[in-house]
Amino acid sequence: MRVSAKPVLLAAVLAGLLAAQKPAPRFARDLYPLLQKAGCPECHNPDGVASVTRLHFPEADAGSPRIEAFGRSLAMLVDRAKPEESLLLQKPTLRIPHTGGKRIVPGSPEEAALRSWIGVLARLAPAPAVRAATTTASPAEQTLLRRLTHSQYDNAVRDLLGDVSRPARQFPSEDYVNGFKNQYQAQSVSPILAEAYGTAAEKLARSVRPPECSADCADRFVTGFGRKAFRRPLTAEERRRYAGLYGRLGAPGVVEAMLQSPGFLFWTASTSVAEWKRYARASRLSFFLWNTTPDEPLLDRAARGDLDAPEGVEREVRRMLDDPRAREALDEFVSEWLRFDTVAAMVKERRSFPQFNREVALAMAEESRAFVADLVWSGRNFMEFFNGGHTFVNADLASIYGLEAPESEFGRVAYPADSERSGILGQGTFLAVTSKPAETSPTARGLFVREQFLCQKVPQPPPGTNTNLAPASAENPLTTRQRLGAHVTNEACASCHNLIDPIGYGFEKFNAVGARQEKIRITIPTYNRREPPKTLELDVDSRGWIAGIPNSDFSTPKELGRILATTPQCQQCVVKQVFRYAMGRSETAADRPVLERVFAEFRDSQFRFKQLMIAVVRWTEFPPAD
Amino acid sequence: MQPLSRRTFLKGLTASKASAWLALPPLEAMFNASGAAYAAEAAVPETRFVLWFNGNGIPEKYWIPTETGRDFTLTPCLSPLAPFRSDIHVITGLDNPAARLPGPGNDHHRSMSALMTGTQFTGRGAGGPSIDHVIAASLGGNSRFRSLQIGVSQESFGESVQRNMSWAGYDRPLPPEMLPHRLFDRLFGQRELGWIERKRSVLDAVRGDAGELRRSLGRSDQARLDEHLSSVRDLERAITSLPPPYHQVDPPEYDGDMKDWPRIARLQSDLLVHAFATHQTRVASYMLTKCQGLTRFPWLGYTAARHHDYTHRDGKAPGADGPDGQRILRDICRWHVEEFAYLLAKLRSVAEGGATLLDRCCLLFVHEHAEANDHKNNGLSVILAGHAANLNTGLHSRATGTIGDLYRTVANEVMAAALERFPTAERNFRDLVKS
Repeated sequence: MRVSAKPVLLAAVLAGLLAAQKPAPRFARDLYPLLQKAGCPECHNPDGVASVTRLHFPEADAGSPRIEAFGRSLAMLVDRAKPEESLLLQKPTLRIPHTGGKRIVPGSPEEAALRSWIGVLARLAPAPAVRAATTTASPAEQTLLRRLTHSQYDNAVRDLLGDVSRPARQFPSEDYVNGFKNQYQAQSVSPILAEAYGTAAEKLARSVRPPECSADCADRFVTGFGRKAFRRPLTAEERRRYAGLYGRLGAPGVVEAMLQSPGFLFWTASTSVAEWKRYARASRLSFFLWNTTPDEPLLDRAARGDLDAPEGVEREVRRMLDDPRAREALDEFVSEWLRFDTVAAMVKERRSFPQFNREVALAMAEESRAFVADLVWSGRNFMEFFNGGHTFVNADLASIYGLEAPESEFGRVAYPADSERSGILGQGTFLAVTSKPAETSPTARGLFVREQFLCQKVPQPPPGTNTNLAPASAENPLTTRQRLGAHVTNEACASCHNLIDPIGYGFEKFNAVGARQEKIRITIPTYNRREPPKTLELDVDSRGWIAGIPNSDFSTPKELGRILATTPQCQQCVVKQVFRYAMGRSETAADRPVLERVFAEFRDSQFRFKQLMIAVVRWTEFPPAD
Repeated sequence: MQPLSRRTFLKGLTASKASAWLALPPLEAMFNASGAAYAAEAAVPETRFVLWFNGNGIPEKYWIPTETGRDFTLTPCLSPLAPFRSDIHVITGLDNPAARLPGPGNDHHRSMSALMTGTQFTGRGAGGPSIDHVIAASLGGNSRFRSLQIGVSQESFGESVQRNMSWAGYDRPLPPEMLPHRLFDRLFGQRELGWIERKRSVLDAVRGDAGELRRSLGRSDQARLDEHLSSVRDLERAITSLPPPYHQVDPPEYDGDMKDWPRIARLQSDLLVHAFATHQTRVASYMLTKCQGLTRFPWLGYTAARHHDYTHRDGKAPGADGPDGQRILRDICRWHVEEFAYLLAKLRSVAEGGATLLDRCCLLFVHEHAEANDHKNNGLSVILAGHAANLNTGLHSRATGTIGDLYRTVANEVMAAALERFPTAERNFRDLVKS
């Protein structure tokens, strides 16, 4: 028996060698592109619609070691005993319910590749939970330089020179990235922007009066104005350079140059120059909380070391939040988060909505601004943003909303008990801006909720998708909801639109300008210029739900407001939005400890927004040790 | 004041203490009588390149000629080009394969990034430099402006990839100047010698600051600062090398109607022609309307909906799903071609070195889609125009290559830009220039 064991062993070794010759699948090369093509990462990422699941793909620019590590981490979705029943196979092939629909066709080569990878994973020794895919350094950490936004530029020249002409309005417009205008990816300086900076600086410098001159006035002006403009003391080299410029062009020349200098236009989220570190913190606080340059007292306190420890920073933040500049800064945040730019640019079909005009659009933005300002500065629970039973309207809006006009313009009005409005979800800013000129768009409303209030990115239709819906006709009169039903019967559309449209359906009782509608009016075109288009009235069906959130059926904004206000994803989304705005970038896996602490403080304060801002500064300035 | 030639003028900037005035003849004078003023300037024939864009594709049946070769009939959309039959080459059937790479964005985003740069949409902007920028990077070094970006209609959904057609690189848009008076000021604003010297001192200090700051930054921040610096250098060049002087300044007559697009289009075209004639640049991009644009067309009588609404036959716009909608699109696209024809006419009206500016130009008119209803991004239709480098014109060709093939061939054979690679370019386009 001892002898015969040998050939058996040999055979096993040989078999192993032979198996090794058939190349084992490599995840990054063989599987990853296939999963990308199936669209998995578009939902399964920290900001995706599937963010609550365990499956998070690494960022698009992750290197292959991280991708391989991610591939191994998929073992958590593999049933070692019965690989056939692994979630990793069952979900994407829709053998069991998958919110994202069928991404991989059973029997296809793609499925075969996936099966072979599942086989590899099933044979792996059970490893401690692999977290490699999500715990690498944040890519944004290398990027520390931030350019003044246009509103920061305007505020800074107001504070430095007393100029209130808002010159940045003449600059090329800014791009929204991650929902805001201050994200580093959108902050390149094109030649046309450099030229605009030059032109603005030239104009601003013209108003500068040369100081009363004594022997050292050049140096005094350069050091004094330089410290304010660059938000730190000048280096010896800078002082020499600007003293020379002062000699040739006087104070206006110095101002003109400094206002185009990277020392003014950029601020750093961190600096390698030791003596600038304290000042850099003052800038970060100031641009976040005041949306403008730090004033001299703040720079002085930073220089004294008052901001070196968390307690001092918190004291300073509280002081800064009591300053009127904090209110303006909050308004800026709100105007970007809620896209007041698109509110102001709204157009509505004139015959259907004669009561709508540009003043009404601007009033809608003002309503939301006042509503949020009240929540924040009166220290209310910020989740009332979704379920608040009141608003601030003028007479025009009151008439559109069917409310009693307030005593003063934009006075506070409580919704009547039977009103179906609540918080932002009942306001024109949301209801009208997500509608088309003539009709509502449940898709746009659903997307807005997903992206702005749940911080979930929904993938766009894949290339070449026919996005046209069947038109309504006289023989086939359909509401938008009914026409959108095509999304659900078409598999390619259904996987994503199931996530989007049903949210929008819950708002169908409110029309394209945010007024109540008992019937949905649709217009059927006639292909005959003499015959006017026909208008039909159809019944409203406003049953909606949020796929992925349990027990989320609703049929009015008020009901959805209650759901959102108590949904952790929505509460965390408020934190993420403030974080993105404060940091000028999206959060990454490395930010998770910070976000968790900020969220805990926000929640423990009963969702006080001021506490949220304090916590964001506290934990981003002094990150937790783990 | 004594008019100076360009050369002595530039030399004079540093040597002379005299105040130099820069001015522009009134438009009429320029195009009728004094076109010769420019002719004297051109020592070596200089080719120019214009990349012209308008959004939302075309209604193919009203746009693409039935016949190929020289004897093609101008379609309703192309009819404004009747006076320029022998100056154009209509090329149809080009593929835009990069638009079909899976990735973020909708079909317009993806097609636009792919059309301009041959690269995938990043989720924010284009994934690389656009062809006009690539050509400008090779040729623009000696002009006052490396390139100009000009725009007209502003109505759009407003995202970066929709508002911008020119890109300096990954996520780096070069926004167009859309206001004629501001474009005028950039090109022809009055400058004094003292002003130039002052600007130079100021920018010297800015560059000094940047150099110092750079040392304290990490690598990716340095790259971002370098972008700023390169823009400052462009600005410095624009300031210190001025176009030749004239005696009179006439800013564009402009009543301030910000949405009178046909009027603005013509003013912008006029200014572009002035810029070429005064050798201020060799490369320009012209964005008549935006990608997935939302232009309204009161002057055509179509006010019910916006351009993008009309392109889809699903009732986004009343009437857009029937034959009426197609006819509306026909009229819209004819207007685009009409504005293109206006630019050709202006270029032809300016003499330069015994020829006309049009003879020295290569214009390329593109859209992000073919038929827009289904966001088609193969079978693109473009128009090449002008006679730079003996372009083969007066015909309609059906092509089989990619838009990248066409770009690279134009860059090399027409613009002599020595372009080795461009994304999606694999083959050279044959017979683009007359041998």
